[in-house]
Amino acid sequence: MTETSERISPPAFRPIRPETRVMASLAVIAMSTSLSAEHWPAQAALGVLVFVALTIARVPADWILRRLAVFLPALVLLTISFPAMHGFRTGWDLMFTILFRATVSFLALLWLTRVLAFDAFLSVLLRWRVPGVLVAMLAFMHRYLFVLWDELDRMRTAWRAREFGHGRTAGRSIAAARLIGMLVVRGLTRAERVHLAMLARGWDGTVRRIDNLPDDDATLSTSQTVTS
Amino acid sequence: MTAADNAVVVNGLSYAYPGGPPVLRGVGFQIAAGECVGLIGPSGAGKSTLLLHLNGLLPGTPSANGASVSVNGCRISRESLRQIRRDVGLIFQDPNDQLFCPTVREDVAFGPLNLGLTRSEIETRIDESLSAVGLSGFEHRSTLRLSDGERKRVCLAGVLACRPSVLALDEPSAGLDPRARRRLSRFVQSYSGTCVIATHDLDLVAEVCSRTIVLDEGQIHADGPAEQILSDGRLMRAHGLEIPLRIQYAVRRDEES
Repeated sequence: MTETSERISPPAFRPIRPETRVMASLAVIAMSTSLSAEHWPAQAALGVLVFVALTIARVPADWILRRLAVFLPALVLLTISFPAMHGFRTGWDLMFTILFRATVSFLALLWLTRVLAFDAFLSVLLRWRVPGVLVAMLAFMHRYLFVLWDELDRMRTAWRAREFGHGRTAGRSIAAARLIGMLVVRGLTRAERVHLAMLARGWDGTVRRIDNLPDDDATLSTSQTVTS
Repeated sequence: MTAADNAVVVNGLSYAYPGGPPVLRGVGFQIAAGECVGLIGPSGAGKSTLLLHLNGLLPGTPSANGASVSVNGCRISRESLRQIRRDVGLIFQDPNDQLFCPTVREDVAFGPLNLGLTRSEIETRIDESLSAVGLSGFEHRSTLRLSDGERKRVCLAGVLACRPSVLALDEPSAGLDPRARRRLSRFVQSYSGTCVIATHDLDLVAEVCSRTIVLDEGQIHADGPAEQILSDGRLMRAHGLEIPLRIQYAVRRDEES
């Protein structure tokens, strides 16, 4: 969910309520993980369903493949030992079942990120009475992933500018470790400054979202404000 | 001028960060309502720390050793913090510290939401404050995908939406291109409330401030009319500053004519 505006929703999905989109994605994941290997036609149907949903959402194939290229190798590494552990036939069956289920679930999540903006997703969580503190943490985490990434990028550029391409692999590893250490320290100091900025605008620990306020002039105390 | 006319009163304020040397040493001044004051000094002079105190953001109340900070006659204490933060709008130096909501609209709404306003009132304030900083139509833009200048303006809109009576700006022109800087200058000139600007941009101070305070090593070294302070070459050099170009040019023009 890299975009934050509801406008990212493809036209075909705009009439569908955000809650329904989240539910649909969760339902596919739940079904995919609960169906046993014998129900392969149902598994295949789920796979087709996700494929159709991604197509309607006009998700570019290369966008999906780039993410699968990161996700699948890690999953294969986790499951590669199954044939040795559970016998050849059963092991391979198990491995492919897990791979298929995980891939379908992953694609369902990718679909959700393309049809629902992150802020809309957070609003859904609030409407589902997920604790406000948790939602606030998710919102800040999402926001600061990008800030920290920018910070890391700047530090990496500064490092490269003085490395002159002569660094050995071991030296580079040490420098990378230092870079990450510095990033953690910088992240902490930034977190303190962000907290001050929030206090300066009246933050009292209560998560409030404008979209959760009623349309009329009812006061905030009667709104759906979620208190931490 | 009576004490009641002062929007900000600081008396004998001293402060040191935990484990660090003193940053402020017995700072005291008053700012009249509607006045625009430039707070200048070299890096590490204590300007940002002083602004944080105006908003009651640093731990501990400044009442120790008889020091006090008052805004609109209300002395900063644990009990008065809510009122103080309602009255003082603080804009931080780095906009990334201040923009923590996913969209511009939500970020501008953050302060008004905490003030407990109704949805229609909040929507009105979002529109007005974004319009005041020239960002109408940016409501649904992601705060991640803004230029530095736009981020600064969104920060300003977020503070204006709270309708503070005192604006405290920390390096507001840092990182702005000339057009955005001109817009900021025009905005501050047209702002009717009290304004405190901590900055290294001495030309901005010369443009918009009627009064200047020179802060160095946590102490006030000069306090007076902006033009008089900024054109005092010896004073400026003594504190690691220099006469703003607009004043230098004006003096040169006068000499030539």
